[in-house]
Amino acid sequence: MTTVTENTDKPAKFVPGQPDMWAFVLFETLVFTAYFGFYLFYRTQNPELFLHSQAQLDLRIGVFNTLILLLSSWSVARCVQSARVGAYGPALKDAFLTAFFGLVFLCSKVFEWARQIQMGNGFGSNDFFTYYFFLTGIHFVHLLIGFVVLGVAIYQLRSPVRRSQELVETCATYWHTVDFLWVLIFALLYVVR
Amino acid sequence: MSAVATATASPLTRRHNPKRELWLAWWTLVVFYNFFFLVFFVITRVQPPPNPAWDTPRVVQWFHDNHFGLLAGFAIMFVITGMTTMSNALIAYSMRRMSVSRAFAYSYLILYSLSAIPGMLLMCIALTVGALRPDRDPELIYWIYDFAFLSFVGTMGVFLIGSLVWMLAILIDKNRVFPKWFGYLNLCNGLTEIVVSPAWIFRGGVLAWNGQIAWWLDMVVFGIYTGVFIFLLRQMIQREDFGAGPLPELSKAAR
Repeated sequence: MTTVTENTDKPAKFVPGQPDMWAFVLFETLVFTAYFGFYLFYRTQNPELFLHSQAQLDLRIGVFNTLILLLSSWSVARCVQSARVGAYGPALKDAFLTAFFGLVFLCSKVFEWARQIQMGNGFGSNDFFTYYFFLTGIHFVHLLIGFVVLGVAIYQLRSPVRRSQELVETCATYWHTVDFLWVLIFALLYVVR
Repeated sequence: MSAVATATASPLTRRHNPKRELWLAWWTLVVFYNFFFLVFFVITRVQPPPNPAWDTPRVVQWFHDNHFGLLAGFAIMFVITGMTTMSNALIAYSMRRMSVSRAFAYSYLILYSLSAIPGMLLMCIALTVGALRPDRDPELIYWIYDFAFLSFVGTMGVFLIGSLVWMLAILIDKNRVFPKWFGYLNLCNGLTEIVVSPAWIFRGGVLAWNGQIAWWLDMVVFGIYTGVFIFLLRQMIQREDFGAGPLPELSKAAR
């Protein structure tokens, strides 16, 4: 793993963190673009069903989810800022705060799924709910991986012998990607009519 | 060549072509995937997969229409399945060349050796049985059809852990055997293997075993991933110096 001393010898970079992570961001964005494309195509095939099903989602939960994830993006950005100036204590606190927001999101998502299933809207109920559970589910998996990624950032920040700024920024880039994907999912599933 | 390698030159490095076995493994990998494509997409026509929502007479008809292709194609697969051992061994070798524990390479070998059974062989066996016993009860033929395609498409998750093991090895490796972005590409590929799992539930739509997401999109990702790792394994062999430190860059490495 890269150390702080190694970083000082490296030329200035165009992106925060490992450029390799940005390849992941690009690739995952393309894959999700394909998911969204299929969703929009199926929506045009049966607009009434999609509108009727969308109306059964609680917009307030969607907005709450989005605000929570935006807050987590804010706290992970603060974590990077603090680490850049060597304030590792506050950086660690912000990393834990990010994990807390992530956990709140996961709990609210499980609550929302349980509510929809209770209302009779399961994974196979209709095309809209197939997409709803699929998109929110695959995003959920990305967020679970995000906890491992945050764990790596915390592991880096905790010990003075590690503290790779590059790795911390790489982890933050992953977390922002998960947030960014959620904003698109929120817009498509909850808002676009 | 690194100082470490020079000081501890093995009998392998003193040979005229020390990379001979590695190239053999790489070419075996290339030949296997070419045959795989030919058999699954052209000869047997099991890829892209047929419709999971067909009724029993249509499934029986499909076995009848593809009788010769299924027998000839899977006969080839049974002969060449052993080639996957060379492919898995080369990938395990790449992990042995990294600055990581041997446990990564061994885990990968075990996982991928076992994965070949639900991930490929079950389908070959089941469809061969269906093709060789056309006189059996149509309901049994229908059951074999479901079993074959669900075992093939629905168990892609067994490859997930192998992908994650390779990813983790690449990300913590200090010998620069593979670029880090390829580690992340392993994660992308692993995630698509999760996406396949709803094929167990759906018989139509995007998540069925022939669906636009569960099959077509995942096949595109798998195709890119396979092409990339074949290319990067070739580069690894070109860069190999049989040392223990970082792999030299391609321009400096002995070809």
